[in-house]
Amino acid sequence: MTSELPLPIQTAWLIPLYGFAGMLVSLPWACGAFRRDAHRPAAYLNILLTLVAFAHGSLILQQVIQFGPADLSFPWLNVADLELNISFSLSLTNLVALELITGLSLLSQVYSLGYMDKEWALARFFALLGFFEGAMSGVVLSDSLFQSYFLLEMLTLSTYLLVGFWYAQPLVVTAARDAFLTKRVGDVLLLMGVVALCAYSGVMGFNDLYAWAAQDSLSPLAATLLSLGLIAGPTGKCAQFPMHLWLDEAMEGPNPASILRNSVVVTCGAIVLLKVMPILQLSPIAIGVMLVIGSISAIGGSLVALAQVDIKRTLSYSTTAQLGLVFIAIALQIPVLALLLLFTHAVSKALLSMSIGGVIASTNCQDITELGGLGSRMPATTTAFLVGGAGLVGFLPLGGFLALAQSIELLSVRSVPYMAIFLLTNALTALGLVRVFRHVFMGSSLIKSRRAAEVNWQMALPMVALSVIVLITPLMLLRLESLEGLLAFPLWAAALVVSSGLVGLVVGALLPLSKAWSRSLNPLLRWWQDLLAYDFYTERFYRLTIVNVVASFSRLAYWFDRKVVDGLLNGVARFSLSSADSLKLSVSGQSQSYVLTVLVAIVLFLTSVSWFLT
Amino acid sequence: MLLSLLLLIPLLGALGLVLWPGAPSSERLREISIVVLAVQTVASFALLLPFDAADSALQLVEQARWVHVIGLDYALAVDGLSLPLVLMNGVLCLVAAIASRKIENRPRIYFALLLVISAAVNGAFLAQNLLLFFLFYELELIPLWMLIAIWGGANRSYAATKFLIVTAVSGVLILAAFLGLAFVTGSIDFSLRPVLAGEMGMTAQFVLMGALLIGFGIKIPLFPFHTWLPDAHTEASTPVSVLLAGVLLKLGTYGLLRFCMGLFPDAWQLASPWLAAWAAISVLYGSLAAIAQTDMKRMVAYSSVGHMGYVLLAAAAATPLGLMGALFQMVSHALISGVLFLMVGVVYVRTGTRDLNVLRGLLNPQRGLPLTGSLMIVGVMASAGLPGMAGFISEFLIFRGTLQPFPIATLLSMVGSGLTAVYFLLLVNRAFFGRLAIAPGEVVNPRILDRVALREQVPAIALSLGVLVLGLAPWLLSDLSEAATTGLSLINGDLS
Amino acid sequence: MTPISASPVRPPVLPDQEELIRRLLSDTPLLADTRDHLVQVVNVLESYGLVLDAYSKNLVDQGEKQMLNPFPVLRFFHEGFNPKRLWTHLMGDRINFEYAEYCQKAMFWHGTGGLDAYLDSPEFAAACQQIIKRKSARDPLLALNNRLYPDFAPEAIRSLTTIYCLGLFWRVMSDIFVDLARRYGIKEVTCIKDVVHHIRDGLVAAAGSPIEYKVTIGGEEIWVLPPEAGLTFLMDVAVPYVEAVFFRGMPFLGTVSYNAQARQISPDISDFKYGALYADPIPSMGAGIPPSLCMQDMYRHLPEELSLWYDENGRGQTDVHVQICISFQKSMFCVTNAAIAGTMPHPLDAEDPEQKAANRAYAESWSGRLMGCQRGALLAPD
Repeated sequence: MTSELPLPIQTAWLIPLYGFAGMLVSLPWACGAFRRDAHRPAAYLNILLTLVAFAHGSLILQQVIQFGPADLSFPWLNVADLELNISFSLSLTNLVALELITGLSLLSQVYSLGYMDKEWALARFFALLGFFEGAMSGVVLSDSLFQSYFLLEMLTLSTYLLVGFWYAQPLVVTAARDAFLTKRVGDVLLLMGVVALCAYSGVMGFNDLYAWAAQDSLSPLAATLLSLGLIAGPTGKCAQFPMHLWLDEAMEGPNPASILRNSVVVTCGAIVLLKVMPILQLSPIAIGVMLVIGSISAIGGSLVALAQVDIKRTLSYSTTAQLGLVFIAIALQIPVLALLLLFTHAVSKALLSMSIGGVIASTNCQDITELGGLGSRMPATTTAFLVGGAGLVGFLPLGGFLALAQSIELLSVRSVPYMAIFLLTNALTALGLVRVFRHVFMGSSLIKSRRAAEVNWQMALPMVALSVIVLITPLMLLRLESLEGLLAFPLWAAALVVSSGLVGLVVGALLPLSKAWSRSLNPLLRWWQDLLAYDFYTERFYRLTIVNVVASFSRLAYWFDRKVVDGLLNGVARFSLSSADSLKLSVSGQSQSYVLTVLVAIVLFLTSVSWFLT
Repeated sequence: MLLSLLLLIPLLGALGLVLWPGAPSSERLREISIVVLAVQTVASFALLLPFDAADSALQLVEQARWVHVIGLDYALAVDGLSLPLVLMNGVLCLVAAIASRKIENRPRIYFALLLVISAAVNGAFLAQNLLLFFLFYELELIPLWMLIAIWGGANRSYAATKFLIVTAVSGVLILAAFLGLAFVTGSIDFSLRPVLAGEMGMTAQFVLMGALLIGFGIKIPLFPFHTWLPDAHTEASTPVSVLLAGVLLKLGTYGLLRFCMGLFPDAWQLASPWLAAWAAISVLYGSLAAIAQTDMKRMVAYSSVGHMGYVLLAAAAATPLGLMGALFQMVSHALISGVLFLMVGVVYVRTGTRDLNVLRGLLNPQRGLPLTGSLMIVGVMASAGLPGMAGFISEFLIFRGTLQPFPIATLLSMVGSGLTAVYFLLLVNRAFFGRLAIAPGEVVNPRILDRVALREQVPAIALSLGVLVLGLAPWLLSDLSEAATTGLSLINGDLS
Repeated sequence: MTPISASPVRPPVLPDQEELIRRLLSDTPLLADTRDHLVQVVNVLESYGLVLDAYSKNLVDQGEKQMLNPFPVLRFFHEGFNPKRLWTHLMGDRINFEYAEYCQKAMFWHGTGGLDAYLDSPEFAAACQQIIKRKSARDPLLALNNRLYPDFAPEAIRSLTTIYCLGLFWRVMSDIFVDLARRYGIKEVTCIKDVVHHIRDGLVAAAGSPIEYKVTIGGEEIWVLPPEAGLTFLMDVAVPYVEAVFFRGMPFLGTVSYNAQARQISPDISDFKYGALYADPIPSMGAGIPPSLCMQDMYRHLPEELSLWYDENGRGQTDVHVQICISFQKSMFCVTNAAIAGTMPHPLDAEDPEQKAANRAYAESWSGRLMGCQRGALLAPD
């Protein structure tokens, strides 16, 4: 059957390998094999490989649109009753996600050439980007839960290494560690779910799992625990409460990587969640948990974003919020909606991230209260922010609007409260973006933005390109047949979306801005301000709870080790050698005591054995 | 004959070293032992040619009468369980010899002992007679004790004595159990036969198995018999630590599978819930204690306690998959801890300290130890069970194989696996991230660290590649041993 | 294989402010006058001179050809473009001109001195409008852009003006440094004091050179910085450059967190202490350290004498870039020393108490700034 498939589809397994190959070809430069030359060839090679991955993906996409989806599977490990395959599902959805990933990866790599143009360790950076891209491509194409887990963990590793890229910077040291550990908590819980599913069902392919889940042979408790485990991984990857901390920490890393993290990494997590969705249906509790997580993330994330002064963090919390909406859509079992939201969010958020990268590059500043007046000077950056923002909130007629209008329509027949959450999140997102825009691009220029020219062309070009893509997203969505009926929403839904955006816009425009980032004098307001600025004190909460518990137990274990176990051992040693100084015997004396111990022990043991047996 | 060669080559090599004419330099002695161990490693890989992986029975059997009157016969054979361990022993002994640079103090004895250990470990893995196993088991003990006691760190006397006493107790218990077996069955046939236990009552089985369990538990080591290990590691030199963690601990886990489980299957199955609980405690305890360490080497040593606990968990479940995982874990732990101890050794020799409160920023590209740091990251990530590396495969196989019989213990062990990431990330981020600083209070430049030549890192690079290869192509190992581990398992694979 | 013993490094005794003032007023070099220092400073300045020559040619070329070019893809090919050059350029066998632009950005962004003030003047704005008008005539995109974002083009012209001026400045410095190496070769320069004097004399000689900038667009010549503006080399370009690059600098992403809530970076850029004289050489060639590019460029032009000297010091060729950075910092102290000496209000041998007091006040103000710098670099390593 495989031989009948067209060549691009047959070789689809190459796609994740392009990224990994990019890492490998960068190694000579990263390891310092070329002492006299700059490390740029590694960057060019990675860009080339990503381009190949993108082109290959487009070929497959075309053929899949023409001939329908295909599956590829190769045996990997067969031990006892365990059968693990490398398998790819070349469905339309997966391929669109793949193109999104490789396309955004390509743009952000070109962007990196500009943003990181004064970076010496360029080869290592691009090697990590290649690794990152390879893992993400593999995740979206994966047709097996094991493979998805495998690659998600690689994603965790590459996030750690990318956040830790500037390893000499003090805050990076802790940020990389915390980012890894927060994600790792989700991963370990996911591993528990994967292992349990594997053990109880004996299969790992998604379709086999669906078939198994449909038989519904698990106890409700087991099903709930299993589902919670499966949710935990994507919760971590999508930066949802309470595992959203890593995205904030990850903002210490280089901005081009943040572009990908804010857009496609979270998308990968959500796509894995979509793939396990039929299994989650076994447990109503798990569905409920997802709804709660999604709602808290959507509202909480939007609110926290409002109180941030760091330009990167205003965006990262809004990512948490938008992915919260996706969680709700998945929990309510509207996959089309989840995909729509993911796609429009990914392109718009990537564009916004590029734009703020431009701001940082030309002002050396991430504090929005220290910026201002950039709007009239930076055409590409400003346009990118405006277009990205418009694409994200329900601005007529861009992607975000279509996705939200569709959501409102679909939610209105299922659950009105969640419809309200969508509208509220949209309003808060609009408010937050207007706030940032006013701070950064409008007003008079402050000292750090007094002299700020537009960014270099390697950064401007991807921004312009992606701006165009965001603008034509509605057309692209309309072309995808699987999403037909995109415009079949009633007028009132459109009106609700637009008015929620307008409310945010107007409030944001009217709200007084305080340039001196000071805490409010009103104690109640100040309490709220601090609560949100410090992200509901999540970090402190973790430090007081989990970190504290682990640290106490580890101290306890070590104390027990030295005092009780070692103490006992030393005591026994003293007793058996009947010398208080036994442990400091001379080397010659030791062999004698050794023989003695051996003899005594054998006699003792044989006596006890005979006593037992008679 | 091939199996005996694996004993003869290093033993003759040791003899040759002792008798080598003149006063050969330490470097020359090292070269000779590298050659000998390389030949031994090649010979052990040559076993792959006649070896039939599909056959779960013992192969290449070699038998000869020896001290037959007390039941001690010379009987060697290999199966899918011992073969990977023999290969691992060859590779790690070679690595240890390569890493033994600048041994100025009695180098002749040092390298001779190294070779004796290699022979003894091969013998123990291949022996098919209980007394012969014991002989080799003890034969490895004294040289290792001397390696710590003579070439160890400042506090070596305490650590070596502790090692000696504790592992002597281990040997005594094992010998006593073997003798007890003869005592109970009334036969002095010590050849390794699983049917032995069938001839005795349950109580006797439990007593003898208990003795073996504690005996091997000390060696593995399992909580609460583990405290000799961190002390021994901290005082041992780098190559000895590599041997200790990579090879000698595996004698314990091998004994657990081969003797405890293999000789007393009924008692083992009855005790298995308790064993699983013990394993989970050992895993969590080792991981938690590791978090509290500030000495890099002690941290790695405690991680061994945790990671060897997985093997007991798998053995308790005794499913085909779990046992394959156990074997995988033994091999991958050997490779990974080899990398970790080598890197800790490089850092210690260059900076004079292993204290995580002092070391900073060693990833610095020109003044620091960047390659060491990169290999360290590979090592800790493999140890933390990141996919793509050998540690993940072993953990996945074990957990998958033990979840159904012992869900709670398995989940707790998975928590332990998560904790591995905690302490190793602390290690990497403290010692390798940040600004390079070695001595507190330095103002101008840190003292210049000695360069690390690339060839010094070759063993660690090779081990890291092994970790990656086994992580990406696990069938290389599993195909070799599947028949044996399935044959060893007490439970039919199809549980569900 | 026993490890070396770990003993804390004894902190060295740094020269205090009084000592710095004494050295400035007594014509004693700030840098300890040793043979090793001489070898390092002269040779590293020679390689720096060669690098600056390339930087300067490139920046001047950019100033002449890249006016309002939206995609200056080939801006680093000031020697002309051909496929072979493109290949070596892509393979990384080239000077890292990005670092020159980084310095330009620091100078532009900090914006101090006469040049910066002129960039805000109505005359400059008029010149900008003239350029934009000429350019827009055949570039509809620029015309549209200028309508939507009226401040874009003037800001781009300001930036390009700084690029051009930095090119002019580095032209002078490059010649001074290369000439220093020539005089060192013929034994005219034999100690650090000679080095400082050579640089001081070079600066003083060039001090009054006019800074002018003229572009040709569509056949029409437009003065961006006309002679009437009266901008001069030392006060309007050199001093702002020293301020922006030697003292203030910009925080390195590789060592300082930009996180706004962490508040690691001062909101007042005049407080910045990220410049060359404050820099920590140890992280050189690490990630997020832009001067690594400059170290690499100097490494490619390292005189043999210095390369051999590095073989005997530090970790030899393994940490050669860090050693270059350490030497470079020492040489930058010499340049600063020369700049202070060259701008002293009165001759050092003045007898008039008022003049002496003025000199002392001047030395005090400079030494105050130098106190926070890496004074360890002034010491001769033991």
